[in-house]
Amino acid sequence: MTIEKILIIDDSPIARKIIKSCIPKDKEYDVSEAQNGKEGLEKFKENQPDVTFLDLTMPVMGGVECLEAILKFSKRAKVVVVTADVQIKSISKVTEIGAFRVIKKPPSKEGLQKVLMDIQNNPGE
Amino acid sequence: MIFNQIFDMVNLGLVILDKEYRVYKWNRWMELHSGIEAEKITGQPVFDFFPNLNNPSFLRNCKSVFTFGNFSFFSQKLHKYFFPFKTETLIGSTFEYMQQSCTMGPLRDADNNIQYIFLSVQDVTEIVAYEKQLFMLSVKDGLTGIYNRRYFERRLKEEFERHLRYRRPLSLIILDIDFFKKINDKFGHQCGDFILKEISRTISNNLRKIDILARYGGEEFCCLILEAQLPSALIIAERLRKTVAESQFNFKGTLIKSSISLGVSSVQNEINSSEALLKKADVALYKAKENGRNRVES
Amino acid sequence: MKADHSSALSTEQKEILQEVMNIAFGKASADLADIIDIYVALSVPNILIMPASKVKNYIENEVKDYGIIDIVKQQYWGEFKGIAFLIFSSGAGKKLISLFQKNENLSFDSEPIDAMEKETLVEVGNILIGACVGKLAELLGDILTYSPPVAMIEQKPADSISKNTFDLNCTAIILKTVFRFENEDVCGNLFLTTSNKSIHWLKKALNKILDEYE
Repeated sequence: MTIEKILIIDDSPIARKIIKSCIPKDKEYDVSEAQNGKEGLEKFKENQPDVTFLDLTMPVMGGVECLEAILKFSKRAKVVVVTADVQIKSISKVTEIGAFRVIKKPPSKEGLQKVLMDIQNNPGE
Repeated sequence: MIFNQIFDMVNLGLVILDKEYRVYKWNRWMELHSGIEAEKITGQPVFDFFPNLNNPSFLRNCKSVFTFGNFSFFSQKLHKYFFPFKTETLIGSTFEYMQQSCTMGPLRDADNNIQYIFLSVQDVTEIVAYEKQLFMLSVKDGLTGIYNRRYFERRLKEEFERHLRYRRPLSLIILDIDFFKKINDKFGHQCGDFILKEISRTISNNLRKIDILARYGGEEFCCLILEAQLPSALIIAERLRKTVAESQFNFKGTLIKSSISLGVSSVQNEINSSEALLKKADVALYKAKENGRNRVES
Repeated sequence: MKADHSSALSTEQKEILQEVMNIAFGKASADLADIIDIYVALSVPNILIMPASKVKNYIENEVKDYGIIDIVKQQYWGEFKGIAFLIFSSGAGKKLISLFQKNENLSFDSEPIDAMEKETLVEVGNILIGACVGKLAELLGDILTYSPPVAMIEQKPADSISKNTFDLNCTAIILKTVFRFENEDVCGNLFLTTSNKSIHWLKKALNKILDEYE
């Protein structure tokens, strides 16, 4: 599967900037952003991105709620949770709900590239 | 070169541990006080020589220092000592081991990663012994050597709180010496003092180690009976009454008999404060006096 | 000389500090859960900038709903230097004793309760403050040393912070987070304060992080 559209949902403008800067520059991706869970869900429905990066601690519909809503809307959505909350409890919770992967903040270029490659190579995962 | 000397010259124990709690360095002070040479303990797990350190609090603090790079401070008040060393000072002879105040902190390598932690050990035995003496002076009654009222009131509050939190039973006995004024008038104040000392000693000998006996007023005493409900407290009170009543006190050749009246109370549902517990015992004491003295009432 | 509050952080710098704190406290609470074996939830932190003369009133106001408080204070030094205040509603110390000692022997005839309470607060406070400030400093590229923490129980907020604590000519940055020890429902506020001597360094450190991601 080729990744063309990416959605970044995080209430911190810096966090969104950091994720954007980690996205590989090998081609032009269509990147959109949202600053809370509600907006994120709307943009997801609108744009149907191939990959979504999601933060957990957000106002107006938190990350977990947003994750559940997105997966409800589209079972095959590839959502990568990027979070500062790295407690085992939280990680296993979102993995159980259906997050494709969990990445600890701050993300690295290599880390992000690997995730995108994994999604590309295993669309059915 | 000077810094290397500091390690062995300071009047302070210095131990360096690696992440597996093996001893990396052991300074001269530690050698002197432990009798363990650096060569013997270096490279070995510190718990092999000091198994008492292998406890949750110590491990928790070590982990914290390795993870966060902060310091841990172990005051003598809570921890007493880490290393059981013999104490050398005369004044410290009340303690089985040297009392220590310890600090733990991170040591980093050239890449700023924490590879070791240091443990500094300070001998505070003399200070603590002195503090203890001062404390004893402030909580003991000068004449009888038992606790004073100030200390009793503090303990009463604390034990009542422990009762509230852990639901432990608690009882209180208030007693006073019958016709004490008459003894003073008839035999003089020196004799009165003697009787006070003797009776408090007698009572003390008939209480358990965990009970708290204090001189509450001129000839009035209070006992906090821990972990006991009313029936047990009454048995104790009756034993006290009987022992005093059956004793003969020999003051410079004069044989004197005396007796005490006692009021007993115990924590129950309607008692919701330490003051209420005290009041109930006081009322019982009054009843004992009214009913002829040399008795126990509750 | 009037304090120059405009030398405080730009919007972008505030945002990056916010994110750095988010990461630091997220990591700190995970590590804490591991070390003290108790889950601690740290809230998303707030950043406030104000003249140092207003800090005392601000903190007292924030905790006034607690009534009587237990407080732990600790100083830290590095490029980033200041004072941490950890403030609980009074009685927290008692709840924490039972939390900490649950696996160890609690003897009933040991030290008076308030000495144990204080020592528990000091130990918990030391680890909590070390976790938060330490991780924050680490992300900013700084290494800190700490004073021994001091605990006071059953205080009125107005009595617990002396007026001389802050250099009144300075601007202060306050980082505030609310935390909860989940099993015991013990909850409190952590205030990290620093003054404009550190702000200069802080701006440089934040810019450095920003540059990495340009």
